[in-house]
Amino acid sequence: MVYLDYAATSPLLPEAIEAMHEAEQKYFANASALHTPGHLSMNKIEEARELLAKLINADPSEIIFTSGASESNNTVIRTFEGHKILTSPLEHHSIIEAARVLGGDEKPALYSYMLANNEIGEFLPIADVAKKAHKEGGFVHSDLTQVLGKLPIDVKALDLDYATFSAHKIGGPIGVGALYVKNGVPFKPLILGGNQEKKRRGTTYNTVGIIGFGAALKYLLDHKTWEIYDTRIRALRDELAKRILKEIPGSSLNTDLKNSLPNILNASFEAAEGESIQLYLDAEGIVVSTGSACASGDIKPSHVLMAKTGDAEVAHSSIRFSFGLDNTKEDIAKVMAVLPGTIDRLQKISTIERKTK
Amino acid sequence: MNEGQDWIYSDTVKDHFMNPRNFLFGDESQFDFDAVGIVGNPICGDQMKMYIKVKDDKIEDVRWKTYGCASAIASTSALSELAKGKTLDKATQISAKDIDDYLGNLPKHKFHCSVLGHQALADAVKNYRAQK
Repeated sequence: MVYLDYAATSPLLPEAIEAMHEAEQKYFANASALHTPGHLSMNKIEEARELLAKLINADPSEIIFTSGASESNNTVIRTFEGHKILTSPLEHHSIIEAARVLGGDEKPALYSYMLANNEIGEFLPIADVAKKAHKEGGFVHSDLTQVLGKLPIDVKALDLDYATFSAHKIGGPIGVGALYVKNGVPFKPLILGGNQEKKRRGTTYNTVGIIGFGAALKYLLDHKTWEIYDTRIRALRDELAKRILKEIPGSSLNTDLKNSLPNILNASFEAAEGESIQLYLDAEGIVVSTGSACASGDIKPSHVLMAKTGDAEVAHSSIRFSFGLDNTKEDIAKVMAVLPGTIDRLQKISTIERKTK
Repeated sequence: MNEGQDWIYSDTVKDHFMNPRNFLFGDESQFDFDAVGIVGNPICGDQMKMYIKVKDDKIEDVRWKTYGCASAIASTSALSELAKGKTLDKATQISAKDIDDYLGNLPKHKFHCSVLGHQALADAVKNYRAQK
């Protein structure tokens, strides 16, 4: 199998599997309890917290573990319930939907901008946003889910008040994430009813999940993965982009290779529908995702591609290739052995005439 | 849906998706048809064209083209098999449910895809009758 859907979720790192397996047996106790097994569990949670703090240049007291990026995003948006919230059109649904329901209409109190988009990898001008927001007395949140491990992160240098992270995009388990909350900024717990996370999030600690997250964080730190992404993975991504443009008529890139995460490539194939491309590739063991409406169970295609291109056909015909550390040059060769024929076939049965060569 | 299978759609859907029957490959001049019907819109992510050859009020042969998802491809492929040899009246009576039954059930949110081929066929029959 050639797996190129790392931006959706990544396979567990062996280090995370091992750590969680050990944790299931050794750190089963309630981490809030005062007895020894509880205390030992809490120590492991704090280890993970310190790792994330170190990785993003925060204080451990500024990190809250959550159930994932959507919860982290919702927690921040809900803190500003009733106030005006500004977001970019490229945000994740967990920001857009929450902000739509809860936003007020005075001067923006919260600016929520991701540093890099998940579908096309494009960077957003977060430095400008932070400057403007803080000048106007607002607060800044950034969803850094796709960025963790792919770029060095410094929440102080980025001047962020809140930042969202997720474990399963970096080889950790699904169901664990984190929220950076700068000391002293407004905060309202989303889950009430417990003293956990310094009364900022109720419910029993997800010890095993957090330990798995910690193992993945340690992997990032030990291997300085952002350096590997910037060199080896970027070269793979750029090679695939080059070959697609050269070898597939009617192809175009939705990712700006010079202003994007090094592991994401989004391309469109004129007159070929995205879900069909995805499933023909799947049948050949090549795993990708699409911005086509059909694939999502939605009626509308990707809001990100619509915002970027304004062209529904481009969105319906889009495929995202997202790379991880396990990808190799052979993977690119395998994709390019199958993709041109798949696109050609779909273009030949298409009701749409291909306009470009 | 489809528990116990390793593919998102049923085996029959997969078969019709991987090996679509009666599609028109390339230029439409390659098929000698009497009428064509079209439905859908690339903006919505689905468009279907159905070409029919008619003899003695029966659909002698049929071809189709699509810009559409796996369900659209599979359901139109199934429809093309069901329609062949039927009288025009019978062919237009083929329902979305008939196609769904033939394919062994599409996922619920994909059911609308199976209506497209059916509408394209009805459009083709209408156009055939109009030109007579």
